Amino acid sequence: MKFNDLLLGLLVLCGGIAIYVSALGFTDIPGQDYGAGTMPRAIAVFASLLGLFMIVKALAAGLRMPRLELAPWLRSRRSVLSVLVALVLVVFYILAAPSIGFVPASLVVMAVLMLTLKTKPLTAIAVSVLACIVIQQAFGRLLLVPLPRSEFLAFLW
Amino acid sequence: MSILAEAFALVLQPYVLLVILSSAAFGMFVGAIPGLTATMATALLVPVTFFMDPVPAIAAIVTATAMAIFAGDIPGTLLRMPGTPASAAYVEDAYKMTRSGRAEEALGASLVFSALGGIFGTIVLVTAAPMLAEVALKFSSFEYFWLVVLGLSCAVFVSPGSVARGMIALIIGLFAATIGIDNPAGQPRYTFGNVELLAGVQFIPAMIGLFAVSEVLRFVASGAETPAVEKGGRTGVFTKQWTNLKRYPVQAMRGSVTGTAIGALPGAGADIAAWISYAISKKFSKQPEKFGTGHVEGLVEAGASNNGAVSGAWIPALVFGIPGDSITAIVIGVLYIKGLNPGPTIFINQPQLIYAVFIVFFLANLIMLPMGWIAIKAARTILSIPARILMPIILMFCIVGSFAINNSPFGIVLMLVFGVIGFLMEENDIPIAPAILGLVLGPMLEQNFVTSMIKADGSFLAFFERPIAAGLGLFTIAIWCIPLAMRLLRHGRGAASDASQLPGG
Repeated sequence: MKFNDLLLGLLVLCGGIAIYVSALGFTDIPGQDYGAGTMPRAIAVFASLLGLFMIVKALAAGLRMPRLELAPWLRSRRSVLSVLVALVLVVFYILAAPSIGFVPASLVVMAVLMLTLKTKPLTAIAVSVLACIVIQQAFGRLLLVPLPRSEFLAFLW
Repeated sequence: MSILAEAFALVLQPYVLLVILSSAAFGMFVGAIPGLTATMATALLVPVTFFMDPVPAIAAIVTATAMAIFAGDIPGTLLRMPGTPASAAYVEDAYKMTRSGRAEEALGASLVFSALGGIFGTIVLVTAAPMLAEVALKFSSFEYFWLVVLGLSCAVFVSPGSVARGMIALIIGLFAATIGIDNPAGQPRYTFGNVELLAGVQFIPAMIGLFAVSEVLRFVASGAETPAVEKGGRTGVFTKQWTNLKRYPVQAMRGSVTGTAIGALPGAGADIAAWISYAISKKFSKQPEKFGTGHVEGLVEAGASNNGAVSGAWIPALVFGIPGDSITAIVIGVLYIKGLNPGPTIFINQPQLIYAVFIVFFLANLIMLPMGWIAIKAARTILSIPARILMPIILMFCIVGSFAINNSPFGIVLMLVFGVIGFLMEENDIPIAPAILGLVLGPMLEQNFVTSMIKADGSFLAFFERPIAAGLGLFTIAIWCIPLAMRLLRHGRGAASDASQLPGG
C-alpha cells in the first residue's frame, strides 16, 4: 500500500490535529504551565506543520487527488494470502499458546508458514519440529523463560 | 586490584569468551543472509542477553554487530545483494570483482579493513569517551535537550530518502514514546485503559517488530527466491591484503576516521558512514573512473568506515546515553535493563565495566579475522539455505523474544503491531531508524524539555544562555537551516538563469 504525497500529508496533518485535541485533556504539573500535555502538544504542532508542508508541496507538484496506490505484491493473490497467513499465525499463537502450549502452537506457526511459502511438506515438518524443540530447549529450559507448557509434553521441560 | 586488571578479569572468563565466540558466529550468519541486518541481529540477540550478566551481554552485542556489518559484504560480493544496508555503498565494485574471479580478494579486503576500521574506532572510543564524560558531568538539562534534538535531527537529515519522510518516522517514534504513565505529571497517556501500556511501549518488542517482523512480512509479500551464488574463484582471502594496505594506506586511515566521526555523531551510523566514505574515496582517487568496475580502493575506504562507525556510535551512547545509531539505541535499552544507566556517571561509578566493554571491542575486532575467514569459506553453504525455511524460524524467534522480555503475551501483540507499522513504513519509503531513535530518546527529550522550560520560566532564550548549550543549539539549528537555505539559493539561481534566458529578459 503506497500513499501518495498528498494523502500522506493529509494523514500527518490529521494525526497532528488528533494528538493536539487529545492532549488538551492532560494535566499540568501542579503550579506549573507544563506537564503531561507539553510533549504531545509539541509533537502535534510539529506534525501539523509537516503535514501542511507536504500538502503544499504535493499540490505544487501537480497532485490533485489523495490516492492509495497498490504495491505490486497486492496484485498477486498469492502474496496477499501469504502475508495474511503470516499475520493470522501470530494472532493464532497469541490466542492458542496459553491453552495448547508452546510446542504445538509454534509447530503450527512454523510449519504452516513454510508450507505457504511452498516448502516441500516433509522438509517443512521436519525443520519445524527440529526448530521448535531447539527453541523450547534453549529458551524454556536453558534460559528459564516460562513458555506455555502442554501437559502431554511435560517431559521436554 | 587496578581497574584495568578488574576489567580483564571480567572479560577473560571461559563463559564470556564462549559468549563472544558464539555471538560472533551468530552475527556472521545473520549478516551474511541478505535482508537480515546487523540491527536485526542485535534485536534478536537481546532476549538472550537478557539472561546474562552485564559484561557477557554487552560482549554478545558488540561482537555480533561488528561481525554482522562485515558479513553483510558476503552476499553483496557474491550475489550483488548487500546483506546489510552498510554494505550497499560498494556492492557494485565487490560484485564486479567476483565476476572477474576475485571474490576472495574482495571479501578479504572487506574483512581486513573492517577489522582495521573497527580497531581504530575502538581506540578513539577508549580515549575520547572518558574525556567527554568529564565534560558531560557539567551538562544541565539545556545541554541534554540540545544533544537529543541534535541526535534526532541528524537521524532525520541523513536518513536515505526524503527529509519529510524521515520526519514522519520521527513523529511516529516520539508519539509512541509518549504512551504510558512515565511523564512529568504522572498521568496515563494513550493507554486506553490497558494496564500493560501504563509502563509505556516496551522497547524491545517494538524493535523486533520494526526490524525483524517487517522484514519477514516483506519477504513473504515478495515471495523472492534464493538466488544462485556466483562462483568467485580462489584467490586467497589474505594474500593480496598486504599489497592493498601498502597501496591504499591513506584511504584506510581516512575511512577509519570518517567512519568513527560519523558513528560518533548522534543519530548517524554505519550505513551513512559507508556511503560518505565511498563518495570521498571516489572524489580523491587518482582513478575515479575505475570506481564501480571492480576496483578495490572504495572497498578499502568504505569497509574501514562502516566498522569504524560501529565503534564510534558507542561514544555518545556511553557518555550521554544518546545512541549513535539504531544498534546503540537497542544497546541503551539493554544497559538500562542491566542497571547500567548510560551517562557520564557510569565512568565514575563502574569504570571496570566500561574498560571491560573496551576490551570486548578489541577482542571482537580481532576475532573477526579468523571468524571472517571461516564465514567466507562457508559462504556458499550459508547462502544456499532457502529463505522460505529461514523466515518462519525467524518469526518464531521474534515471538519468543518478544514474550521473554516481560514473560507476557502483550509483548507479542506489540511486536505484531510494530511489525505491521514497520512494513507499511518501508512500503512508503519511510525510514525506520528515526522512529527507533524517537522511541528511545522521546522520554529523555520530554524530561529535559519540560525541566528546562520550568527552569527558564518559559523563555526560549534560556536555552542559549550556557555556552555549550548555545553551541549545540546553533549547530542543531544550522543542520535544519542549511539544506533549506541551499535549496532556496539554488531555486533563486535557477529562477534568475531562467529569467535571463527569456527573450528581452
